[in-house]
Amino acid sequence: MFQLFFENIRIAVSAIFSSKMRSFLTALGIIIGVLAVTLMGTLISGLDKSFEKSMSMLGKDVFHISKFEWFGNQDYWELRNRPDIKPEYAEKLVEQGKYVLAASPQSFRMSDMSRDEKNITGVSVIGTTTDYMQTSNTTIEEGRFITDGEHNSGSRVAVIGFDVAEELFEKSDPIGENVKIGPYKFRVIGVVEKQGKFLGLQSMDTQAIIPLGTFQRLFSRRGFFRLSVKVDKDNMEEAEYEVRSIMRRIRGIRPEEPDNFAINKQEAFETTYNSIKLAIGGTGIFITVLSLIVGGIGIMNIMFVSVKERTREIGIRKAIGATRGVILSQFLIEAVLICLMGGLTGLGLAFGLSFAIDKFLPSEMPVSLAILAVVISLAVGIMSGLVPSYRAAKLDPIEALSYD
Amino acid sequence: MSEVVKNGEMIVLKAVKKIYNLGSEDVHALDGVDLDIQRNEYISIMGPSGSGKSTLMNVIGCLDTPSEGTYIFEGEPVHEMDDNQLASIRNRKIGFVFQTFNLLSKLTALRNVELPLIYANVPRDERIEQAKIALEKVGLGDRMKHKPNEMSGGQRQRVAIARSLVTNPSIILADEPTGNLDSKSGQEIMKIFDSLHDSGNTIILVTHERYIAEHANRTINLLDGKIRTDEKNNK
Repeated sequence: MFQLFFENIRIAVSAIFSSKMRSFLTALGIIIGVLAVTLMGTLISGLDKSFEKSMSMLGKDVFHISKFEWFGNQDYWELRNRPDIKPEYAEKLVEQGKYVLAASPQSFRMSDMSRDEKNITGVSVIGTTTDYMQTSNTTIEEGRFITDGEHNSGSRVAVIGFDVAEELFEKSDPIGENVKIGPYKFRVIGVVEKQGKFLGLQSMDTQAIIPLGTFQRLFSRRGFFRLSVKVDKDNMEEAEYEVRSIMRRIRGIRPEEPDNFAINKQEAFETTYNSIKLAIGGTGIFITVLSLIVGGIGIMNIMFVSVKERTREIGIRKAIGATRGVILSQFLIEAVLICLMGGLTGLGLAFGLSFAIDKFLPSEMPVSLAILAVVISLAVGIMSGLVPSYRAAKLDPIEALSYD
Repeated sequence: MSEVVKNGEMIVLKAVKKIYNLGSEDVHALDGVDLDIQRNEYISIMGPSGSGKSTLMNVIGCLDTPSEGTYIFEGEPVHEMDDNQLASIRNRKIGFVFQTFNLLSKLTALRNVELPLIYANVPRDERIEQAKIALEKVGLGDRMKHKPNEMSGGQRQRVAIARSLVTNPSIILADEPTGNLDSKSGQEIMKIFDSLHDSGNTIILVTHERYIAEHANRTINLLDGKIRTDEKNNK
């Protein structure tokens, strides 16, 4: 049997390569189909990875209280006119909440930073307190974080992001050196470990963290403000209820009135992300299935042509002893081989493109996806080759021999 | 070469009919043929077109089965066989030579001759060895790597004969083997058939040329699907 199988592969290869253009055009549908499925898979796995990493920055057990819901559809002006979130809520939440482990108020603004001739723009300056270390996923690579004393006294000290340190200090040690945030001079006390971009958009490494007290003195008491509250991760539901009631009590909201603040959770991102993922995946599957069907029909069509063209050959082979099974497998192998070559070409292209995608989105093609692509092309080959091959197999040798 | 072990009956056809249904009427392509063929016979089948000689050739060659009657080939009942059994018997016991050569144009002479052995599952080395011997036997030892379109008609037909020989078949069936050749090549081909017969092969020629038929030892004349005459040739 091995002899015959080998011979049939030989026949198929010679048939495919004797009309290269036709084979290529035939395989194009499969190439596109496999390209679509693998690229989509690579993209989603890349998204998943970067999403997971970004979510770990937010923290699963951290609530973010602000005026605005992350993914709400309430009227902007209504939210805009809600009362501001105040820093002193943080202390009250820690004091009153038995599930609250830490709470850090954060003020944000964008600013330039400079040192001597060197200059970096678009740095997000965060004013916060010591608790920030617990509510965020920040790790200090070098030096130390700000203290309560520095917050209270309004010291001009800063913990800078990795990229800021790299830009302003290059190779030299930034600790103890002076930098300027806007027009104000600050002393660097620490450097945050490299974190990457949040959801591939906003870099977490071009930041500078300063004491909230200092922030309020130098910059502003208003502006975008939020409270990050770290809670007991084993009692998330109770914690949320507790945080909500403390907030309502602080605000003096009557039972029938709605909240005038928002408690944001990582889950909100997940819900939104999953629906985006579903949309991408759905579109991908739709394109893939469509192009595979079109590709499969193309292959079936060309196999019918091939059988017709080689009717005489089939007659000769049958006359000298080829059985139905042999003829069936000859044409089936040809169809499968075209699909497999198309599939591998698509896979190769997708693999190449995945490096290009990697530039925007950390991604690599999972092995399971490559295997899936090969299995899909095999299946398409068998499905589209079966009917033409069967037709070839049951040709009458006498009629086939007299076919012109 | 099949040796003449016994001179028994190799092919026995009894009351063979082949009926084709063409719309409203049945056509009796073979209408009750009785025929015995012995080992190492050299037979020519003649008859005008439509006489049923191609049908008879197809039935003897196991490309087709009789509608009625029995066909015993070396003790095996061909009339009861299914497609795969027919393919197997064609592969093992019958060598075909066609008027239009019927070689595969993309394959070399050697590969063409190898083909029946591939279907017989003969290992590669042995296959090539046997194919070479067959090609040398028809005088094409120096043309093995040539493709059919690089050869003359006579050479192509010799490749076809080598292909029919390579499995050591019980009979060689040749359907108008010189029909597409000039007379000189035709004579050369007939010489090969003559020498194959001399070395013990059983050969059946289908022809409508009397001078070709005269190479055989026995001539069967068909008319309207029936054997009209069946006589020994005086050589």
